[in-house]
Amino acid sequence: MAAIEAHGLGKSFGGRSACRDVSFAVERGEVFGFLGPNGAGKTTTLRMLAGLFAPDTGTARVAGCEIGPGRPGGPQLRGKVGLLTESPGFYDRLTARENLVYFARLQGAREPERKSDALLERFALRDRAGSPFAELSRGMKQKLAIARALVHDPEVILLDEPTVGLDPEATREVRNLVADLAATEATIVLCTHHLEEVERLCSRAAFIAGRLVAVHEIRGGNLLRIELAAPFQPDAVRPLCHSLRISGTTLVIEPRAEVADIVAALVHSGARIEAVSPHQDRLEDAWLDLLAEARAA
Amino acid sequence: MMGVVLRKELLELRRSPVLLLSMASLPLVVVSVPVVLLAWLVRAAPEQALASIRDVYGAPAASTAAVAVAEMVATKWLSMFLILPIFLPILVAAQSIGGERERRTLEPLLATPVSTLSIVLGKSIAAVVPALAITWIAAVLFCAGIDAATGRFLLPDGTWIFGTLVLSPLLALFGNATAVVVSSRVVDPRAAQNLAATTVLPLVALLVLQLAGRLSLGPRFYFAFAAGIAVADAALVALAIRLFDRERLLTKWR
Repeated sequence: MAAIEAHGLGKSFGGRSACRDVSFAVERGEVFGFLGPNGAGKTTTLRMLAGLFAPDTGTARVAGCEIGPGRPGGPQLRGKVGLLTESPGFYDRLTARENLVYFARLQGAREPERKSDALLERFALRDRAGSPFAELSRGMKQKLAIARALVHDPEVILLDEPTVGLDPEATREVRNLVADLAATEATIVLCTHHLEEVERLCSRAAFIAGRLVAVHEIRGGNLLRIELAAPFQPDAVRPLCHSLRISGTTLVIEPRAEVADIVAALVHSGARIEAVSPHQDRLEDAWLDLLAEARAA
Repeated sequence: MMGVVLRKELLELRRSPVLLLSMASLPLVVVSVPVVLLAWLVRAAPEQALASIRDVYGAPAASTAAVAVAEMVATKWLSMFLILPIFLPILVAAQSIGGERERRTLEPLLATPVSTLSIVLGKSIAAVVPALAITWIAAVLFCAGIDAATGRFLLPDGTWIFGTLVLSPLLALFGNATAVVVSSRVVDPRAAQNLAATTVLPLVALLVLQLAGRLSLGPRFYFAFAAGIAVADAALVALAIRLFDRERLLTKWR
């Protein structure tokens, strides 16, 4: 069973739609990206999945808990989800450890002190455990917030913009932490507008722009880029491809057949080929194409 | 879970010297000003001035002028003391929701399984208990000061005991619940504090009317007042819990 299954989730505030038609599934142990511009509805979707909001439309099952209109999920769901909020959100006068233990207790974590100490150690915050939260650096605050999202061993981890506002060094540290988490086969939804984060960490990503535009699979380098001399409808080679994308005079193909056969089929059907090369599918290209499609629609 | 919230709130309060100082400053004035003034009146004021005060407040002719003035202060000043248990919790409780929102701790808090009732109760007890403790310490000091200044056992009388032991907790709940309700609807904790603080105005009016000799409040009034406040407390606590809706708090507070 999938860790998250969402069907047509939608939410409006004061008559203004924040998101609609959001449907996707996240398998257990998968790292799933949520991409979209600011105000696209990513955070709203995450809040629904975390049990903070009930959707206006649609239903979802998160860690076995049902949510739907008028049913935000309740304490059972909130206890199974670890949410990293956009802002770290801790109490300035409490120390790092006191803050973490407080939230561990609220989350119903077993042995909250021991668990908090272990996370402080793991996230290299042990030396600053006794410092007031206000005195921590931005990167430390963010690491503490990630530790809070994990302190009760949640089944699903929702990370909302984990690197926003961080300097390059802290960004790298936090990304490495998320990568370590991904390696532990945790189920993670990573909400961001940094494409490179998604490319590095996720197996799939949903593009959201008010509605769910597409779910994109992050592929390796098994793609072929063919530059043509002139625009051409390559219907003859479609049966030889798993997927085919046309952008002007460029074809990006996920081959089903040998490269030589594809090239031969193209030449045979009248295409003039200028170059053939391996292609690394850049998420940015896919994202910009999808965004343009969404805006045109 | 309520105990977890309460312990954290008290820990934060202990580490907020400015807030503690502001909580202590009003009781200090409320206790010291009338006691010092009375001590001076009893020892140094002209008999003619004391007699005229006694005439204004209608004190019994049998008592000396100094004792009559002391009795007047002792009875009329209770209204001022009743302002303390309303006002002090407001200083803490106005921070309860608005402060969480301002520090951006509200969303992480609401994302935990802790219930609405536990959050509201934990925060309320953390506001009410210190306020009551300060009120009771101030009342003890005031009574002792008045008795020492006059050299007679004037306070506490029955009305004072009822006022501090019964009415004060009810008023503390009232001030706290008002602050929680306002705080859950207003973005700025300072605005919440100011709005909630307006609830003390009727008591200030009562005090002024009493000191002006226009009104004399007796035990019957305070009993009726306590009953009314108890009803208002129940309504306000129910409203505070109803307004503490997770979605509303995160989105509909502007």
